[in-house]
Amino acid sequence: MPAVFTVDPHSGVPMYLQLIEQIKRSVALGVLAPGEQLPTVKQLAMDLTINPNTVARVYRELERDGVIETSPGRGSFIRGNGGVRNATRAAADVAAAAIDTAVREAKSIGITPQQARDLFQRAVEHWYPGQHETEDRSL
Amino acid sequence: MSDLAKISINGLTKRYGQTLAVDNMSLSVPAGSIFGLLGTNGAGKTTTFKCMLGLAQPTSILFDGTPLVPEMFERMSYVPERCALYDWMTGAEHMELQRRSFRFYDHKRALQLMDLFGLDAKKKIGKYSKGQQTAMALVLAFSIHPEVLVLDEPSSGLDPVHQRHVLDLMISESTGGATVIFSSHQVGQVERAAERVAIMHEGTLRLTGEVEQLKADVKVIEATFDGDAPSVNGLQSDPSVGLVRRAGRLLRVYVRGNGDEIARTISTKGPRSLRILDQNLEDIFLTTVGASPAADLPES
Repeated sequence: MPAVFTVDPHSGVPMYLQLIEQIKRSVALGVLAPGEQLPTVKQLAMDLTINPNTVARVYRELERDGVIETSPGRGSFIRGNGGVRNATRAAADVAAAAIDTAVREAKSIGITPQQARDLFQRAVEHWYPGQHETEDRSL
Repeated sequence: MSDLAKISINGLTKRYGQTLAVDNMSLSVPAGSIFGLLGTNGAGKTTTFKCMLGLAQPTSILFDGTPLVPEMFERMSYVPERCALYDWMTGAEHMELQRRSFRFYDHKRALQLMDLFGLDAKKKIGKYSKGQQTAMALVLAFSIHPEVLVLDEPSSGLDPVHQRHVLDLMISESTGGATVIFSSHQVGQVERAAERVAIMHEGTLRLTGEVEQLKADVKVIEATFDGDAPSVNGLQSDPSVGLVRRAGRLLRVYVRGNGDEIARTISTKGPRSLRILDQNLEDIFLTTVGASPAADLPES
């Protein structure tokens, strides 16, 4: 598996959530491809030096969210297109949270709503060069 | 991994003369789990371990629901805090002793582990460094495919790489069905490897539960402001608020429950950033043994 995950038990974010987010992001970015096999619970627990139950919980929740599928005796795999779509949706949640934080910060330092909109517009134009209106509604 | 208790300790009390080492302690360790025991020096951790192993006479300790029977020792490994190997014997001789003593001794496994810890089997234990002696005791403990591993400070004296190996071995044994109970002063190790934890202080059990759950029970709301952190009305009187710490631009509030409401109240003060975090195990430990400023503030 090419993706390398890390967890920080001290970060204040539960380890299972850190891992879920990293795996979803890897799927959304294509680092983990559909059909790709995930390490066993034991292997990943040892790679990350974390309790196996934490990994088992991560796999359970990823399966519930439709990102991976587990077949007994064979292991856990990234689901087909559905998996990517589900993971992308999850990654969009992360983006929404980041935008929320940015707006809250802008407000706290006295930026007006109009200024905030201008800043946002400028960021959009910077990162989507040449695209006026995004047609992509898949998110 | 079932919820069946592999080890249950009920009302354990142990006195050494006038000293009450462990007072009415009860614990349950689920089969196949990794259980961490935290405590300051002299908290009673080692006494608890000794009682579990019948080295000191306990009140009531059950393995698989029955009192400790000699046959149980065959599937049990104990690594004491102070190394109990023979200085005049070599590593290889200790392995041979282990082979003769334990039916499930696995020599191939022992050799792999010697390799993992970089130990020379031809050397006498007396010539090993303190860390190497600890490692040797661990090799022997893990070489018998134990059902129960009792490890008292298993990583003391080991370098960080070998400390990781010890945790990985514990994790690996636990996925194979073994029950592991270990003590450590390194809270971070317990936080990573253990599913459940018990915190002992002055001979009594102060707190026990699932690590993730204990960490999530109390939220830490951390807000930074552009100027000095403002005072927030009603915070101290809120029954869910345990501790409010203000340091310059930083406001940190410990809240029992999910913390959303308190976070909203704080956000009306226009913080520059605001995060809701889980408590870390070190905070929990320090608060529990009364070593943190949190102790002299009103309980929620």
